[in-house]
Amino acid sequence: MQTRQGIVRVLEQAEKMPTLIVDGKEISVQPGATIMDAARLLGIYIPHFCYHPQLSVAGNCRMCLVEVEKMPRPVISCAMPVSEGMVVKTDSEMVRKSRKAVMEFLLINHPLDCPVCDQGGECSLQDLAMKYGPDRSRYHEFKRHAQNYDLGPLVETEMNRCIHCTRCIRFSDEIAGVSEMGAVFRGDHMQVGPYVPKQLSSELSGNLPDVCPVGALNNKPFHFQARGWELKQSEGICAHCGVGCHVRVDHLEQQVKRVMARSCGVINQSWLCDKGRFAYDGLTRERLQRPMVRSEENTTLQEVSWPVALERAAELLKRFKPEQIAGLAGEGLQGAEELFAFQDFLRHVVGSVDLDHRLRQRDFSGDEQPLTRADLLMNTPLVDLARADLILLVGADPRFEAPLLNLRLRQATLAGARAFAIHPRQLNHNLAHLTQLPVLPGGEVALLEGLLQELQSGTESSPLAVAWRGAKRPVLLLGEYAVNHPQAESLRRLSVALLERVGALGSGWNGFNRLTGRGNAAAAQDMGVVPHRAAGYQRLEQRGRNAQQILRAAANGEIRVLLLLGCDPGLEGVDTTLGRAALAKAFVIHIGAYQSPAVARADVVLPGLAITEREATLTNIEGRAQRSPMAVMGPLEAKEDWRILRALSDRFAQPLAYNTREALQARMASADHRYSLADREEEELSPACDHSPVTVGLQTAASSPVSVGGGGLSLVLEPAFYQDDAVTRRSAILGQLAQGRSAGLGVVRLHPQEAERHRIRAGQKVRLIRDARSLECLAALDAAVPCGALWGDMGHASALLQDLCDWDGGFPQVSLVGL
Amino acid sequence: MTKIVFKNIHRPDSHTLAVYRASGGYQALEKALAMPGDDIIDEVKRSGIRGRGGAGFPAGLKWSFIPKDDRAKYLVCNADEGEPGTCKDRDIIRYDPHLLIEGMIIAAHAVKAERGYIYIRGEFYREAERLQAAVDEAYAAGLLGDNVLGRGVRFHLAVHRGGGAYVCGEETGLLESLEGKKGQPRLKPPFPANVGLYGGPTVINNVETLASVPEIIAQGGAWYAKLGVEKSAGTKLFSVSGHVNKPGNYEVELGIPLKVLLEEHAGGVRGGWENLKGVIPGGSSSPILPKAVCDTVTMDYDALSRAGSMLGSGAVIVIDRSVCIVRAIARLSRFYRHESCGQCSPCREGTGWLAQVMERLEQGKGVAADIDLLLSVADNIQGKTICALGDAAALPVVGAIRAFRAEFEYHVEHGRCMVA
Repeated sequence: MQTRQGIVRVLEQAEKMPTLIVDGKEISVQPGATIMDAARLLGIYIPHFCYHPQLSVAGNCRMCLVEVEKMPRPVISCAMPVSEGMVVKTDSEMVRKSRKAVMEFLLINHPLDCPVCDQGGECSLQDLAMKYGPDRSRYHEFKRHAQNYDLGPLVETEMNRCIHCTRCIRFSDEIAGVSEMGAVFRGDHMQVGPYVPKQLSSELSGNLPDVCPVGALNNKPFHFQARGWELKQSEGICAHCGVGCHVRVDHLEQQVKRVMARSCGVINQSWLCDKGRFAYDGLTRERLQRPMVRSEENTTLQEVSWPVALERAAELLKRFKPEQIAGLAGEGLQGAEELFAFQDFLRHVVGSVDLDHRLRQRDFSGDEQPLTRADLLMNTPLVDLARADLILLVGADPRFEAPLLNLRLRQATLAGARAFAIHPRQLNHNLAHLTQLPVLPGGEVALLEGLLQELQSGTESSPLAVAWRGAKRPVLLLGEYAVNHPQAESLRRLSVALLERVGALGSGWNGFNRLTGRGNAAAAQDMGVVPHRAAGYQRLEQRGRNAQQILRAAANGEIRVLLLLGCDPGLEGVDTTLGRAALAKAFVIHIGAYQSPAVARADVVLPGLAITEREATLTNIEGRAQRSPMAVMGPLEAKEDWRILRALSDRFAQPLAYNTREALQARMASADHRYSLADREEEELSPACDHSPVTVGLQTAASSPVSVGGGGLSLVLEPAFYQDDAVTRRSAILGQLAQGRSAGLGVVRLHPQEAERHRIRAGQKVRLIRDARSLECLAALDAAVPCGALWGDMGHASALLQDLCDWDGGFPQVSLVGL
Repeated sequence: MTKIVFKNIHRPDSHTLAVYRASGGYQALEKALAMPGDDIIDEVKRSGIRGRGGAGFPAGLKWSFIPKDDRAKYLVCNADEGEPGTCKDRDIIRYDPHLLIEGMIIAAHAVKAERGYIYIRGEFYREAERLQAAVDEAYAAGLLGDNVLGRGVRFHLAVHRGGGAYVCGEETGLLESLEGKKGQPRLKPPFPANVGLYGGPTVINNVETLASVPEIIAQGGAWYAKLGVEKSAGTKLFSVSGHVNKPGNYEVELGIPLKVLLEEHAGGVRGGWENLKGVIPGGSSSPILPKAVCDTVTMDYDALSRAGSMLGSGAVIVIDRSVCIVRAIARLSRFYRHESCGQCSPCREGTGWLAQVMERLEQGKGVAADIDLLLSVADNIQGKTICALGDAAALPVVGAIRAFRAEFEYHVEHGRCMVA
């Protein structure tokens, strides 16, 4: 494959743009372009199976044969480079005869089982057989049989249908970067499959059924669920990480049946990660159906009508002073509409200033500075990541935070970019190469400071410093680990300073990127769901309390009412022990779509809609605001979250000033111009970050120092990729992929040497002890975890390792006892 | 008659460097090293020698396609002699390996290749050993290495044994295999002359072609061009097998009448010329010639092409009247089905289809429509595949039906063979 790419480069050395004639139409194309490229530009469809615009050219199906004047034989248009004066016929007698011949060959050993094939109705082979296939078979021999494989929970195989186009093999090798598919045997015994039968490990394996032009590789959860032509299709935006991939939601009778990738050149090209594709079965599980209220004398929640529930909520909000009321919003699955309405309601209807969405963030010292959007999001557009010549990942694991972003990084490394990572855990990456610098949890700041000193003193000696000095287009990515780090602000400022040293913060190339991994966190920042800023990055006269302060105040009785929007501080966040204490002490009004422990504790429950059940504006990590339309209906009595807030505001002196979604969106747009989407083209949607200068020259030592050591093991929690929000946690499909949950116990991972030191075996039950708190979980051995640390996943309902954590003093030091 | 590639093989220990040198070996190399590369290419062009592996592409022209850029260039010798019926290269390697090595050094000097590989068929185990010994001798004698004969020319040569796949005799399949990948032909363009081994410009020549080079340099291209006939210059090795009294490799000038080759050189057809049924003249991929054509046809590129077949690798398979053509072709079809790499649809599916229908016909289970079906399937394969293997599988079937349709019909009608 590499050779073929080399070939293209050699061919590109031709100087001028050749002109050719395809079916009588003249066109000039880039040197090195193929006949297929030229035909596509002219809008001429040439039938094909193995050709895929994003994969290397294999030229094996032979379906795209065309006639070129002065050439004795038909040539394949996908591989034949254009030359000056070529005259191509894509529908001559010779071409039609060739296509019929190829079609017959592809069909003779195909089982022709379209009636029971998931691909039926959306199958290239079926479609082209309609046009070029014979109406009866001349093949009277036995059809061959191919072996099927168990590739895990996502991909179903029916290899008898395989036409050996090798798209799946090329996808695995070239895009996913995990060579899991291959072809064995020769001739008509050739079989496509995994070299070693096992569950596919790639986070992109759900694309295999998409690239398969026939029904050989199928979407397993969708297997036999519906016929393609019965489904209604809605366009959508994926909300399960911050990349904002374009998806197509296929549904039948108000049930989402599958999610497919929708092509978007500037974001996801034509791919989708498994999380985004297979989370849909969690959409409808454990839903809140009707409003509920807990009366003063009654301790159980009772279903009531909307007016009763709203009245009770209004009564609670009016009973206390505004400073006794606070709001917490989730950042994963909320649209910008409800985030805007949420802060508007709290600030202007209730009069409270205490609201936040950053339950996972430990370090709030950045709130002191007037940060702009460019400090909080990505500044390098996704497409430009592939052009980077140096990549530095600071506390980022892009493959499992933003897989489609990671593809761009992979492209950059394949094109020769060098890549370094600063992360205490050994990353399971699929970049062409990655140099990881050894560091322990808490040592990241010192490492970056050392690098900055090297650059400032002009004595670069470490490989990273030398590479950094020589880089023309460096990108630095701060990931979840860095964003939720106890010294996040120092890391951020050091990153800015590093980029400033090499002039990579300008409008020509801005390499500063902060990945806010969760779905719509960017919109929460834009809409001002933070205590220190209003919507559109406007300054506030009076600052409120942040997430940590709100929970602490609620737990000690200063705050009496918590308004929750799609979040549960007893389940998510840095310190869930504190979160549950707050929920136990305060009155709780919960707006959201899903059941959770907070609902069980709530005084008023107002059921909202899931992400596919309403129009929502989602803003990705680059800052593109995109509108995701409604696909299916939600539970009958559930309402859009912003309408709930609007209805609630009616019971106050100054209700919210918008009655329609359009009016609300207009208000959002006037608060932040990037949200005026009406007159934008699909591809641009909204500008990515506007390259406004980020805050430079600040004192880099912003955060409180972190104490490392102290006898215990540092407990580090990272988001669990496949179980990161209310929907993914409920998805049974993703549950099969997720690791780290077993028999209701959480799993803590530690290095085999550390386990030996503590005399702990793999799978053994252990007790983690930190001061008065303790937790039982299972031990797993993982050589990727550094010695001296324990690693766990955040946000599992069944075993909350966050119960051991709090906002103070860096990573919690815990002791470990085998049981 | 003039012998070029077989001029030494009668000498005792002809495979050793000492004997090769004693008979004038490596003198052409001395001469070539004093010539600019382009002059060597011109000399080879002047000789008119065409590729001896099967395709018959003019060798000098092929060399002249190598771009004069600064990329590393490669010379590859195709010794994957797998075409059924062909066994000529094996004798060159067995009995005169230094002739090949000398030819390769000259060719490498001409195209500025500093690395060469001999890709030898996996089954040629002893031959590979002998070839390796010869390469070792050449290194020891300073004929290979960083400074060939102290003349400042660098050429390193390695012997690589293939795994026995027929398709690796296809030049780009060979390159893939040499690079350590699955032996599957590449798409062309680009051609190996531009993007070949490891992406570099590459010349790939057959053993016999390269072994002819020293004599062309020694005697001059014009001398060589006088041998043979118009557009088929020089001598050619014919591997005569089948129903002749003296099967074997014969070096004769191109243009020799087939009848002369068989009757005078190969000891005559078993049971006399009249017992001849047909001849496959250029390896198993070439269509069979019926006796009537064999009476007059001459063995050169153009004459065989006009007769509806091809010179191919020069493997002459002689078939007398005791042979069932249907059975013989069914065996060939089975071979091509087995050896198809499976990459492209027409060959993968078509070779299997042809073989199954041929087998049914041979077993007497065919129907009349099968004969036209074979022609149609063969036509559908031809010209639509990545490499020539598809054509190679189709042509023998088409040729046999064209020349011996009655035998196929007899199989259908009587359920058995005409000759048995």
